[in-house]
Amino acid sequence: MTRIVPFAAVSLVALALAPLRPAAQQPAPPTFQVDPLWPKPLPNHWLLGSVTGVAVDARDHVWIVHRGYDSMTARTEIGAATNPKTADECCVPAPPVLEFDAAGTLVGHWGGPGGTFEWPVSPGGIAADAKGSIWIAAAGPPDIPGAGNLTAGRGRGTATAAQGRGTPAAAPKPQDAHVLKFSRAGAFLLQIGKAGQPGDDESTTALNKPAGIAVDTAANEVYVADGFGSHRVAVFDASTGAFKRKWTGGDTPFGTVGCVKLARDGTAYVCDRSRNRVAAFDKSGTLLRSGVVSPDTKGTGSVWDIAFSSDPQQRFLYVADGHDQKVFILRRDTLETVGSFGDGGRYPGTFYSVGSVAVDSRGNVYTGETLEGKRVQKFVLKGAGR
Amino acid sequence: MTVVPRGFHLQARSRALISVAFLAALAGLAITERTLARVVQSKGTVMAPRFEVDPLWPKPLPNHWVLGQVIGLSVDAQDHVWIVHRDNLLGPNEAAASQNPPTASCCAKAPPVLEFDPAGTVVGHWGGPADGYDWPASNHGITVDDKGNVWIGANEGNDAHVLKFTKAGKFLMQIGKPGQNKGSNDTDNFGRPAKIFVDSKANEAYVADGYGNKRVVVIDADTGKFKRYWGAYGNKPDDTSFGNYDPKVPPIKQFRSPVHCAELSNDGLVYVCDRPNDRIQVFTPDGTFVKEKFVATNTLGDGSVWDIAFSKDPQQKFLFLADGKNEKIYVMDRASLEILTSFGDGGRQPGQFFAVHSLALDSKGNLYTTETYEGRRLQKFVYKGIAPVTKMDQGTVWPGK
Repeated sequence: MTRIVPFAAVSLVALALAPLRPAAQQPAPPTFQVDPLWPKPLPNHWLLGSVTGVAVDARDHVWIVHRGYDSMTARTEIGAATNPKTADECCVPAPPVLEFDAAGTLVGHWGGPGGTFEWPVSPGGIAADAKGSIWIAAAGPPDIPGAGNLTAGRGRGTATAAQGRGTPAAAPKPQDAHVLKFSRAGAFLLQIGKAGQPGDDESTTALNKPAGIAVDTAANEVYVADGFGSHRVAVFDASTGAFKRKWTGGDTPFGTVGCVKLARDGTAYVCDRSRNRVAAFDKSGTLLRSGVVSPDTKGTGSVWDIAFSSDPQQRFLYVADGHDQKVFILRRDTLETVGSFGDGGRYPGTFYSVGSVAVDSRGNVYTGETLEGKRVQKFVLKGAGR
Repeated sequence: MTVVPRGFHLQARSRALISVAFLAALAGLAITERTLARVVQSKGTVMAPRFEVDPLWPKPLPNHWVLGQVIGLSVDAQDHVWIVHRDNLLGPNEAAASQNPPTASCCAKAPPVLEFDPAGTVVGHWGGPADGYDWPASNHGITVDDKGNVWIGANEGNDAHVLKFTKAGKFLMQIGKPGQNKGSNDTDNFGRPAKIFVDSKANEAYVADGYGNKRVVVIDADTGKFKRYWGAYGNKPDDTSFGNYDPKVPPIKQFRSPVHCAELSNDGLVYVCDRPNDRIQVFTPDGTFVKEKFVATNTLGDGSVWDIAFSKDPQQKFLFLADGKNEKIYVMDRASLEILTSFGDGGRQPGQFFAVHSLALDSKGNLYTTETYEGRRLQKFVYKGIAPVTKMDQGTVWPGK
């Protein structure tokens, strides 16, 4: 199938960047345009739930994880998945892990409860490591003040099946406190931590609602943003899950640790979401520098997820701000904000709760929206930052 | 099933596959044999309007405005598109900039009534509580009549009224008082009225009444005085509860709330959305029952018959039906009420729906939709002319597909 969107049409929503100050010695930030027709429509009347993680693998395939049934309204949204069905064919929740090729075609899907591991109550971040393994954080349901929408009849399997309000409520699952590792085909490889056994900042075996993962393939280590329950970054052996080290924020203790991401030069960037802070550390956990993004943001905070530009130096850092509904562009060396794109809304290029961000080898940006955003979007790199 | 012979060349082979898929789709939709015969009989030359979504319409809203549930839609004589939405349902996380103090730079609640020009630019906005009238606790349905008046319904528990404004938002008339509805035979109040149609020639307004009552009411469009009303099959409406819709039992002889639309065609037929009963009922303007059509009868809960609009040719040959439960728009032959094709699917991408609630057409035949619940969009589907139907269920209609 041929590409569909004429550039002229796309440029109508060219996402102009707003430099925050005159750019004397500032590098010009990259510019983007949304591709309103990426990805292609899902098959089988599948729907995305709240998208909690986006990652791009070495093949430029885009991976997402979403909350599926538990984030959907049984009465109104998934009439073909209730018992009895209340609609003929539409809609049903898509499997929780979806793999798209660069053209936006769904090429893989898996996930959900299995035999030897504990599928999350609610997934958080997803990571694709250089060896092709897929990591998923078990983050627990979003803990966001005021996130509950006011739509009546949010099902969650509480009401009677006769009205199509979902299946009878199952016993609550133990609280998320772990990280899972799979092959790209979805074969279970490793679990770190146990559901229902949350740890604290000192624990060497237990996590507490971890939000995200980064993998250092050369060192065979996995960095865990831990998370929504604990307030630390914890590092484990990526094969055995053995604890190696942790840190809790440097000069300022972490608030909500929403992500950890590793740059090519080995710097670890942490989303200190509730403090509107991006904090950069070396691999041992020594604070190198930190920067504040959107300092006036209250509520959830502004720093939800981080990704790096695709140039060799990774000169820019992208911050998904699911409260201000935009993606900020920062200089990676100084952590100064040099631009942003996006706005609130349910249309292409606008966001509701943009909580995850990733970049492919060509510099295109992908975003995931949680809560009722429920989308993955692609922003095509139009002008490389220089 | 067709067996494809070896060496069957690619084009013919894919044609065969398409026809197999087509037949499967027909079977899946439980189309009657009669319709199937009709479709196949004339070499698949059933003709119907074709549409493609415009993924970049409307233009981004100004002022970091966001929409709540978009619960009403109308196109005026200048092809401006009007919506009404429930700004009051935007929570503190989504409308973070409307909080006191604001918790983020985005987003702010857009005013409840928005007017877009044909290019998709917001050119007008108003609405909300003010002295002199009762703004609905939950607005529902918007109609711009031929004279340029704007009518708004109301469907919260106590809402019992219809409001009439100028296009500039100046209050003109209120019919009914909140909390005063006395049921489906009340001649002063409505019961959570859903939508209004105005017959400017007869100077009458048809009110789909509604979420509380179970009737169609016709009022004088200037005075608001009740002229006549009727229930399903033209019966006297009855507020007896019949419980939930069940396709396995005989259809009830009353509407089931909500009565969601009442649209008058050029040739003088009133098409009524009996939403949870999964049926369209057709009447003469005096309330005489003409016929009915059941649609997607396995649909429970919210039902399949949400809103109706007619094609823009003088004969109004086609009828469009929004189904916010199965997430599609049916294209029907208005005379026979047979489904010719459908488009749309569930989802948050362009051309997809979550609870497609309202639809309307402009003078060029472009079709607009709005979505309630968490869909919260106004979308435009560009009219691409009358074309042979190649797929019963077209799914997401993207440009160039």
